Amino acid sequence: MNNNSTALAEKVKGLDAKKIGNALLNNALIIIMLAVAVYVAVTEPSFLAPRSLVNLLSLTAAYLPVALGIAGCIVLTGTDLSAGRAVGITACVAASLLQAADAPNKMWPAIGTLPVPVVILIVVALGAAIGAFNGFFVAKFKLHPFIVTLATQLILYTMLLLYVKMGNNNGMAISGLDEGYRNFVVGNPPLLNFAGGAIQIPNYVIYAILLSVLMWFIWNKTTFGKNMFALGANEEAARVSGVNVFMTTIMVFALAGAMYGWAGFVESARVASNTANTGVNYELDAIAACVIGGVSFVGGIGKVSGIIIGVIMLRLIFVALPLVGMDQNLQYAIKGGIILFACALDMRKYLVKK
Amino acid sequence: MNRTIKSCCSRWRRKAAGVFCAALAALAAGCGAAETEPPVLRVGVALYTQDDTFISTIAAELERMAREEEQERGMRINLSVVDGRSNQTTQLEQIDSLIGRGCDALCVNIVDRTAAAVLIDKARKADVPLIFFNRQPVAEDMLRWEHAYYVGAKAEEGGVLQGRLVLEAWQAGPALDRNGDGVLQYVMLEGEPGHQDAMLRTEYAVKTLTDAGVAVEKLASDTANWKRGQAMAKARQWLEEGMGDAIEVVFANNDDMALGAIDAFKQAEEDLPLVVGVDATAPALEAVAARELYGTVRNDGAGIARAMLDLVLALADGSDPAGAVELEDGHYVWLPYRAVTARDLEEKAP
Repeated sequence: MNNNSTALAEKVKGLDAKKIGNALLNNALIIIMLAVAVYVAVTEPSFLAPRSLVNLLSLTAAYLPVALGIAGCIVLTGTDLSAGRAVGITACVAASLLQAADAPNKMWPAIGTLPVPVVILIVVALGAAIGAFNGFFVAKFKLHPFIVTLATQLILYTMLLLYVKMGNNNGMAISGLDEGYRNFVVGNPPLLNFAGGAIQIPNYVIYAILLSVLMWFIWNKTTFGKNMFALGANEEAARVSGVNVFMTTIMVFALAGAMYGWAGFVESARVASNTANTGVNYELDAIAACVIGGVSFVGGIGKVSGIIIGVIMLRLIFVALPLVGMDQNLQYAIKGGIILFACALDMRKYLVKK
Repeated sequence: MNRTIKSCCSRWRRKAAGVFCAALAALAAGCGAAETEPPVLRVGVALYTQDDTFISTIAAELERMAREEEQERGMRINLSVVDGRSNQTTQLEQIDSLIGRGCDALCVNIVDRTAAAVLIDKARKADVPLIFFNRQPVAEDMLRWEHAYYVGAKAEEGGVLQGRLVLEAWQAGPALDRNGDGVLQYVMLEGEPGHQDAMLRTEYAVKTLTDAGVAVEKLASDTANWKRGQAMAKARQWLEEGMGDAIEVVFANNDDMALGAIDAFKQAEEDLPLVVGVDATAPALEAVAARELYGTVRNDGAGIARAMLDLVLALADGSDPAGAVELEDGHYVWLPYRAVTARDLEEKAP
């Protein structure tokens, strides 16, 4: 009896150790990143100063919309390489329509400054149109999204280069933005002023939170969201059970595009200098954030909360490491390593299941 | 508690948080903590790109002078230099991070001169003085905050001095007028399109000549983006078009492009026309000494670094910056350009 129970206890213990090991490995990336953060916080306490944390929060909010958009494409076992250029073109369009009336080199002097909500509608619609274009080619001709979006990002780049040459702009940076627009995005409500104005959280953090809630609702509470996951997990099964594959695919890409449109709208005011290079490579950061956050390339798996964690973790690394004197040039290698590591871990889970 | 005291003292906050901090400092001095650690001044330096020879010289000068000041003043000056890679988004995020790290002053070589308002607003909110250098922000933006400064040379002055170099050579004798028609035929190699230095140097170099009554004819002009290789390609193209004998003067907005033009002439084995540049970089001075480059205009990189450091130190002390540097309109420190020819180099050498 006594012997039996010890054996049992050992068995349980062994199982636990294995489970714990697995859990550790599955969350290895997040654990490593937190360890880095702790290390930086200890060696450089200014990392935990309110201003530094607000900076981290703001950066996360700026990069979140693109990640939320691209995640849908990844859930469909695809990807979207056109996200960065889509952000660029929507940012330039938003900026050009919202330049102050007296800005030097105003791109379109005839239109004055449009109302902010109108411009939001225009750029979100433009982004959605770009996404729908991608989605159409993916759905209609069964092309891999990698190829489709590789092509569209090139086409978009030309459109962007041509656009910044239009009007009075002549290829220069589009700036001199309307104060109202700037305030709408980077201003801060009195509610989010702490410590007598020393800590100010910009508006776009709130928008990012609202966007996350909206995205969570779409993914989890709508038929469209359920269809998306069904399609991503198994296309045949989804088709047989009556999911409109064609429409769902287009909608997923269009939704992603709408997110890029919003990101462009925010980015334009955040940086306040918009050129043909705005947004370049944003898709890579977004894809990396998604993989870190557990959106699987296998398809049909992903959570909004995971994406948020992914974006925070990635930003955390890039805010924290320069503090301890990391060479700027290393950041690309680190990003690459993280992506590779995250994907390998993800596939490992899948292979174990098989 | 101890940590609060230390961090409070070690940051030379320009406006220390009033009485509270003063009281803490007194307390810390009482404990003897203040004597053991020298005060640290944190300065963030953001460059538009590290590839630019002239810009990296300024950063190196700044570093060297900071080390000297450390010795003299018995303090630590912590310089964090970041490279914006010609991308305004990158630079903006770098500045956010520098402010987040608690820098006491920022020196910014802005990527896009029209985007200064955003940076000034950020600095004002964090109450960190902001010094722009070499790439001058739009004038209205500078008025947004009293502690936004600009240190650099006046672009038009570079053009005027370059024009004068040519004017003197023109007036010195008929040798420059190769074809003897009494008109000065020139080509122009321009920097980045839309860059203030490129536009103003181009405009004022020619204006100086025409104002002096010299008849000029532009044979060709093109942009070579400040780069030697691109300038060489453009010049070679002009030579292939048969302009070699007609070109009397080559104006270049900077030295790298002037040297590129010389490369092309040498490669085609054509007689060198009169070539002038701006910046007085080390390779350009060698070319001047070798009489290949007629002259250049010294853009005072060390002077820019000196003025910035003086400003930063004055602001950290809480003293009036106008006492440390010559401040125009409360925002601008102008450094003079100086023309350099082979004659000047010989005079300087023993």
